[in-house]
Amino acid sequence: MSHHLEASRNSCALHGALQLFEAIDGVVPVIHSTSGCGVQHYLGVTRLSGGNDTFGSPPVSSSNITQKHVVFGGGSRLREQLKNTVKVVQGELYAIVTGCSTEMVGDDIPAMAREGRDQEWPVIYTNTPGFGGDIHHGYHLALKALIEQLPDILKSREEIPSGLVNIWGIIPNQDPFWRGNLQELGRLLEGIGLVPNLLLGNGQNVASWQQVPGALLNLFISPWGEFPARLLEERYATPSIICEGVPVGNAASILLRRLTDRLELDPIRTEEFITREESRLNQQFARLADSYYRAGFQREFALVGESAQVIGIGEFLVNSFGMLPRTLVITDNPSESIQEALDSRLMAILPGYCTDVLFSEDQSEIHDVVRAGQPGIILGSSLEQEVAVELGVPFLALSFPLFDRIVLERAYAGYRGAAALLEDLGSAMLAGSKYINEAS
Amino acid sequence: MSIKQGKHIAIYGKGGIGKSTTTSNISAALANAGYRVIQIGCDPKSDSTTILRGGNDLPTVLDTLREQSKVRLEDISAVGFGGVLCIEAGGPVPGVGCAGRGINAAVEQLQELRVFDEFKPDFVLYDVLGDVVCGGFAVPIRDGLADRAYVVSSSDFMSIFAANNLFKAVNKYAPSGGARLGGIIANSILAAYAPALIDDFAGKTGTHVIGYVPRSLVVAQSELYGKTVIEAAPQSEQAQVYRNLAKYIDENEDSVIPKPLNSPELKKWAREWGDRIFEVETGVVHEMASI
Ligand SMILES: Nc1ncnc2c1ncn2[C@@H]1O[C@H](COP(=O)(O)OP(=O)(O)OP(=O)(O)O)[C@@H](O)[C@H]1O
Ligand code: SF4
Ligand SMILES: [Mg+2]
Repeated sequence: MSHHLEASRNSCALHGALQLFEAIDGVVPVIHSTSGCGVQHYLGVTRLSGGNDTFGSPPVSSSNITQKHVVFGGGSRLREQLKNTVKVVQGELYAIVTGCSTEMVGDDIPAMAREGRDQEWPVIYTNTPGFGGDIHHGYHLALKALIEQLPDILKSREEIPSGLVNIWGIIPNQDPFWRGNLQELGRLLEGIGLVPNLLLGNGQNVASWQQVPGALLNLFISPWGEFPARLLEERYATPSIICEGVPVGNAASILLRRLTDRLELDPIRTEEFITREESRLNQQFARLADSYYRAGFQREFALVGESAQVIGIGEFLVNSFGMLPRTLVITDNPSESIQEALDSRLMAILPGYCTDVLFSEDQSEIHDVVRAGQPGIILGSSLEQEVAVELGVPFLALSFPLFDRIVLERAYAGYRGAAALLEDLGSAMLAGSKYINEAS
Repeated sequence: MSIKQGKHIAIYGKGGIGKSTTTSNISAALANAGYRVIQIGCDPKSDSTTILRGGNDLPTVLDTLREQSKVRLEDISAVGFGGVLCIEAGGPVPGVGCAGRGINAAVEQLQELRVFDEFKPDFVLYDVLGDVVCGGFAVPIRDGLADRAYVVSSSDFMSIFAANNLFKAVNKYAPSGGARLGGIIANSILAAYAPALIDDFAGKTGTHVIGYVPRSLVVAQSELYGKTVIEAAPQSEQAQVYRNLAKYIDENEDSVIPKPLNSPELKKWAREWGDRIFEVETGVVHEMASI
């Protein structure tokens, strides 16, 4: 380790796995670790993502191990906890996740899961110590557990609809707009005759996951979706399409045309849908024009967020909204090869324009580069507000951690998301603009 | 921690090299000389003090801790030969849990029980499991618990290797208040070249050998009776060897921070000794060599 990290936005692997499991109806996570791990998930993650958390904190089952279990092994404690959980909490699937202490000791988790299955309990497991990786890694581990273990435990009951598309790469809470974004993506797919498998949130359940192997295609929306897509390709030979960022505005049209091409859908239907959606968005642009010019919306911006957000929102603001990308900060730590790919893609947003692109999860580094760019508006997590105040520029909070905004259904994906983004961005500009002060 | 009662000594060495036998005999000899002695086995096998106690059962600190929340000194200790207070830290079932953390927990428990304040020992001997495999097993020398570490070694390369590892640990912790090295106890000396080999290793690492314990049938015999040599055969030569070791530890204040060899150095050193032993065994006569 070369330097310390200040206020990292990327919590631990255990929390990534919990994000996923808690977003599926009927899945009951069982934490096998010290008691702080579950609390930290609430304090450090779910509570900081648009205010959607269970009152107080989510009631999550945890083995709450102590020194005794570290010394003698915590297997029996987990066995007991699993038994009690199955008794007390109704669920369709129980998912054991582990933390640092139990993994350091080396408790035999697969054996405990097997014991549970021998009792006819539907139990999956994944080893998710925080020292093994961050929240994105945990998301991967949990996906892997579901993809690999679920088919052995529960037999699929329902028929798989034709035209089913799995959507990957949106991590609950790590993208505060995950529910709305998934809904809008689903609406887009339906618009061209496909059946979206959203998998997370809004009533998605274990049955949705049982349909995964039967999908026509895997669509992944961020670099973090590549892993499950690859797993599924290996297991079921399902093809996949990558869309590196959340598609905002016209980027949605590009995606829909690619899907239509790839899956040989009815192009007329697709074009009709796109025309309807785009013309509506264009009208909204037109209505915004007066404010746009009077308040000087066309300015340099700094954007801080996960790669899918920075690509999707950044490209939209530049390509469709005429704004100037001064500083782009990607906080989710993608692998080096992905960084290179993203880097060249971001550099191409506005050829010849001087954009600072930074990959970092360190608050002070992020704030330094944002500050140095002297942007005319900052879009980022709630942590960036202090820089906006310091620079006296408008601010829009849209990435994790998001603790000064409520996000229930809002989306920034798709056509509707684009309109919502314009509303929020425009409001922030006006609220912080001289134009208001002069008018009053 | 309150002011330390007595001299605290940790004994390390490769598995099976004779740590428990040697430690128990030293404890017995110190007790015979009139000192108050505690011997603490820091090894999940919990067989350190067996020959001091005639082989009787003794619940370990950790077993007791597992079963009951409150532990009393009388539950986890037994008075053995010569009044030596015997304690076994214990540990988890092999393959489960973390023995390293177990040593930590047991030592914390002993401190909580104020064993040293209560018993007022002149000597506390820690008999620590084999190699220093992880931080847990370095606890006795790391946290200022023991002031001296001794290592038991034979002339096998593997036991020298383990000794060198201990030197690395001492070297790391001694500057910040950890134990310093008292010296090497050469055990199971049988081959003629053995003392010279161990002496040479000691010289290379800036340490020295405090005593040579011959391999002896008396040890095996006494062990079968469930006794130390000091108890079973006090008149034997072997008993005298152990008494001398005890006397050295009692009277000597010398200690060093050893200079462990790095891997290539250790390998090179071992190879050279391999050649020499081969020549001795096959009778190659060098010029000037006195036979
Ligand atoms: N000098 C000696 N002469 C003869 N036998 C010996 C001698 N030293 C030790 N032994 C025998 O070697 C065996 C192992 O000794 P001991 O149990 O003391 O080793 P240890 O280092 O404590 O082992 P462990 O690492 O398993 O705790 C015992 O049977 C013991 O009697
Ligand atoms: S980093 Fe480890 S100890 Fe901390 S919350 Fe995550 S699993 Fe628990
Ligand atoms: Mg022993």
